Amino acid sequence: MSSFLKIAIRNLLKGPSTDPYPYGETFVPKGLRGKIKYNAKACVACRMCEHVCAGGAIQIREVSDKSGLEFILWHNTCAFCGLCEHYCPTKAIRLTEDYHTAHRQEDKYRYVEKGFIKYVPCASCGTPMVPTAPELLNVAYDNVNKDIERLSKLCSKCRKEKVCG
Amino acid sequence: MTNFVQLILNLLIFPGGLFAVALGLFLMGIDRKIAARLQRRVGPPVYQPFIDLVKLTRKEMVVPGTAHLQAFWLAPLLGFAGMMAAVTLIPIAGVYQGFKYSGDLLVLLYLLALPAIALMIGGSASSSPFGAVGFSREMVMMMSYELPLLVVLVTIALKVGLATGGIATFSLSEIVQFQLENGALLFDYTMLPALLAFLVFIPGNMGVVPFDIPEAETEIVEGPILEYSGTGLALFKLMTSLKMIVVLGLAIALFFPTPLGKNFLVNLLWFFLKCLVLMVIAITIVRTSTGRVRMDQAFKFYLRYPTVLALISLVLTLLQR
Amino acid sequence: MKKLLQKIAKKSPWLYRINAGSCNGCDVELATTACIPRYDVERLGCKYCGSPKHADIVLITGPLTARVKEKVLRLYDEIPDPKVTVAIGVCPISGGVFRDSYAISGPIDNFIPVDVNVPGCPPRPQAIIDGIVEAIKIWETRL
Repeated sequence: MSSFLKIAIRNLLKGPSTDPYPYGETFVPKGLRGKIKYNAKACVACRMCEHVCAGGAIQIREVSDKSGLEFILWHNTCAFCGLCEHYCPTKAIRLTEDYHTAHRQEDKYRYVEKGFIKYVPCASCGTPMVPTAPELLNVAYDNVNKDIERLSKLCSKCRKEKVCG
Repeated sequence: MTNFVQLILNLLIFPGGLFAVALGLFLMGIDRKIAARLQRRVGPPVYQPFIDLVKLTRKEMVVPGTAHLQAFWLAPLLGFAGMMAAVTLIPIAGVYQGFKYSGDLLVLLYLLALPAIALMIGGSASSSPFGAVGFSREMVMMMSYELPLLVVLVTIALKVGLATGGIATFSLSEIVQFQLENGALLFDYTMLPALLAFLVFIPGNMGVVPFDIPEAETEIVEGPILEYSGTGLALFKLMTSLKMIVVLGLAIALFFPTPLGKNFLVNLLWFFLKCLVLMVIAITIVRTSTGRVRMDQAFKFYLRYPTVLALISLVLTLLQR
Repeated sequence: MKKLLQKIAKKSPWLYRINAGSCNGCDVELATTACIPRYDVERLGCKYCGSPKHADIVLITGPLTARVKEKVLRLYDEIPDPKVTVAIGVCPISGGVFRDSYAISGPIDNFIPVDVNVPGCPPRPQAIIDGIVEAIKIWETRL
């Protein structure tokens, strides 16, 4: 009891160390894995995130009018493990430091991160395809020249013909 | 007739009833606040117990289907009523005289057992196994802390009785009167062991850590009061707050009733201050700096230290004569 | 008068937690919220109570495993009205990583009316406090 008593008296002298959180500011530790932010511009729809997602929170599917791909991430089954960010080749998917996840029941199924990748026509044949993000080119090549950029505007079939003849 | 009216007023408004309830709840709020500060927390506001009570009256009351209904509802009422009566017996020097019967200390001793009995009845009537465990523990606890209390009371009764020419006096007002004339017993070296014994008795009777074994919320989920909700629980909370006043007031009347001048309000504040200091020493600091002990440990502890301390006081009193 | 009592009473929400087969991650976070001086929930008037009969705000963790389902439902029925349910962590909300397992009967809102969700695996203590504050707002209207 006496050792605890010493601590208790010291605590009384030091004053409370409580975070003023619901009424005031709080701190966010660096590298906190919070809500997920998705950048459709950088996404190349490789579906790696969908594959590695532990909670099955990510879905990438074609919209009904076939004009593009839709990315849906339901935060209510996401384990915030960060695997998607780790495996994303272009870092289109990011974990922010926003941890304010509390929401009411009526918003349960609206608590999602959405993105839309619009198909672009192939420069030569016009087939709709997922646009190649400049981030992917930066990852794949040391220096991106005009040829590579021209190739990236083509669908896979046209590209094959163009390169291999 | 005026006597009767005064009695009712004493029972319902001051110093029993409303006043004691408010004072007890306020003290409990301060207790929670200080306990939080001792743990480096901010803690709830001091008026939190009042809010809790208001909340409890607005909750639904759930009664277990297998409970014995009469006993289930009688228990909190019994404890509450017993404590209401007990508060009127506590004299506050310079403010309130108490009853001038010759045996009010004995009555108080029996009334002090009522909350424990109420908890026992409630616990066993609720037909919950946790309630039954709480019932048996409450009984063992009562057996262990009643003995030192009894010895302390007898010591003081003997001390005052012998000094005033009789054998023993069991009248609280006489004990207070004796101390007003001859100085408080707190400063008498023969009474120091008895005071220590009483200080140890307080956490046991109030059921706070380390002696909250009958209501251990982490092992037997609050034991006897487990099945009470809403108003029933509120009555038990009221009972606890009144018990706080009774126990602290008794300690003050027995050891340090000395008033501060003749002013009514000053004396009331002085009483409150004494209650506060005693509560912080005997309840708040004890409960923040210890962990819960086992039933057999508590039993052995009470039979060993406080009883021996009280007996030392008794022997010293008899020798001094 | 009723409004005033509502306003007073909402400052005393007592918390009760049900572990519906949780991995204890969220329970540790709840204990952190309650016991560590930094996130002291007692400021809001909260108190963890041991008995379901004393509870106002129910915090449920865990994906509601098949074995524990009956007990959780019984426990939930024992809590007196008005009460508010808060689902802590992704497991009670959707099943999380255990979703579609043969041992899971959840998500919990198929059986119990949930009011506030606090996803996270586990959520931060601040997020739990957010959830409790949200729950108090709902609770006030029901008092």
